[in-house]
Amino acid sequence: MNHNHQGGLALIRATWLSWMQHRSFFFILAFGWMMQPLIFMFVWATAAGDQTIGGLTRGEIVAYYLTLILVNQITYSQTNWTVGDLIRGGDMNRLLLLPMSPLYNTLASELAGKVVYLTFVLPIVLLLTLLLKPAFNLTAVSLFAFLPALLLAWLLRFLWGYALALLAFWAARADALLAVQDALVFLLAGQAAPTLLLPPLLRTLAVILPFRYMVGFPAEVLTGQLNGTQLTAGFVAQIGWLAVTLLLYQVMWRRGVRQYTAVGG
Amino acid sequence: MNNAHIEVQNLSKTYRVPQRQSGLGAALRSLARREYTEVTAVSHLSFTIQPGEMVGFIGPNGAGKTTTLKMLAGLLHPTGGTAVIDGYIPWERQPDYLRRISMVLGNKSQMLWDIPPLDTFHVLGEIYGLDKTAWQQTVDELTAVLQMEDLLTKPVRNLSLGERMKCELVAALLHRPSVLFLDEPTLGLDVSMQRRLRQFIADTNRRTGATMILTSHYMADVAELCPRVILIHHGRLLYDGLLGQLSDQLAPFKLIRLTLDRDNGSADWRERLPEGTAVLNPDPANLTLRVPRRETSAITAYLLNTLPVVDLSVENPPLEAVIDQIYQEAAV
Repeated sequence: MNHNHQGGLALIRATWLSWMQHRSFFFILAFGWMMQPLIFMFVWATAAGDQTIGGLTRGEIVAYYLTLILVNQITYSQTNWTVGDLIRGGDMNRLLLLPMSPLYNTLASELAGKVVYLTFVLPIVLLLTLLLKPAFNLTAVSLFAFLPALLLAWLLRFLWGYALALLAFWAARADALLAVQDALVFLLAGQAAPTLLLPPLLRTLAVILPFRYMVGFPAEVLTGQLNGTQLTAGFVAQIGWLAVTLLLYQVMWRRGVRQYTAVGG
Repeated sequence: MNNAHIEVQNLSKTYRVPQRQSGLGAALRSLARREYTEVTAVSHLSFTIQPGEMVGFIGPNGAGKTTTLKMLAGLLHPTGGTAVIDGYIPWERQPDYLRRISMVLGNKSQMLWDIPPLDTFHVLGEIYGLDKTAWQQTVDELTAVLQMEDLLTKPVRNLSLGERMKCELVAALLHRPSVLFLDEPTLGLDVSMQRRLRQFIADTNRRTGATMILTSHYMADVAELCPRVILIHHGRLLYDGLLGQLSDQLAPFKLIRLTLDRDNGSADWRERLPEGTAVLNPDPANLTLRVPRRETSAITAYLLNTLPVVDLSVENPPLEAVIDQIYQEAAV
């Protein structure tokens, strides 16, 4: 990989300026992404009523889902969908001519996008927090652990999706895998239900596979659902999967570019 | 000692293209077993280019020009042969090599679409790690020459094709590359914009001493910019030399222009023409004949003997006509 942080930073700034031109488009996208967790929040909160489900009260469920909306927004890598277009449309050529890894180009839209989305999502989540009275059981540990968990979750989700998107170097319609990825995230990353509420088999799967560590885990951390052992195990799994994903990305990138330059864009 | 800036030897590129008939059945079969055909895009191409030279790549669509340029720019791996540019092997894609080259693609933009060109230039300055003063100086200089100061602050998507092409050229030259690949830089531009950009490219070549390879389907581009042309057809090199001598070497025919004495038995000139002669202009005052190159002298002698010739000249056909003939016949 060709490190060129200076160029990358400049690109991020410029991309952000570009994206601000289309704010409303991104607001609509962000609105769409919020709908699913919102719906499931109301489903589980209603189900809980005045009792608890899997040890969670209504207020705790609301707190979990409001956090999840934010985490999902921050970690969702919409750019993974455009990498395939870059490759198929031949725009990858333009990026490969620069003395800088094309990953920076994707990172730039990724970070630029986050800022645009959050200007929309943050106020909504704050408003919902005032309206729905969630029960955040914030502790020093949960607050302190949340930020690294969130950063790792984003890195993991971004790189994992990027590596999958690089399949476009070989197959014309690699996007299908990204759709499968989104489905798995929905089921196993704590969107359809908090991991604690999943049936045993799914729960084991969720703990083993990488998806929970992309979305659900940071939300569980912040809302204090995990004990010390679970917290440590979560971080170990998150870091482990990130290492695996980094390796996957590097293999995919190296082979992909060789393949791309062998057949032409 | 070898001073060549670009040295290409036996460069070849064969694509493996998945082959399949149309229709659902064929699509399903190809899922199980793909069939490939090999397509030779470039075959054993060899040439050297000296520093500061400006060379035109010509050839019909699909001749292998762009494939060759892409290999030299490090975007494609060849299947055979070698290329060394400035001491680098292009497809190893070393950052130091990428910093030395630039490529302008007439049909692909490298400008960021939604923001003004100046912002893209800033980003490129950072990516190439240019010194602020040097960057400013280059931008000022190029925008002054191209008379585009007023474009710098408009979003790129609001620019016309010609205006955008000016931006592309500035973007490509910001880091002062020593090798510039220009793939159809005047594509789709009007005549006067073509002329201005051509002028700019020629000046840049003189001023910076950058080595340039240009492909274009507009012979005017090539004729005006490139003393030397490399003609590629079906991936093979057909001609490498001065543009002025291309007709001499490749045209399979010559033109004979005649003025006949009208008062003196020229009425039946048509019947007296030898075989293999085509009449391009039947006016006896300015008769133009096309004759096979090999028989030019024999036919000239014959015409002088049998017709009342007042004036006669033998010419090479116009370049465009020769090129057209080569493109169509493929065989030279």
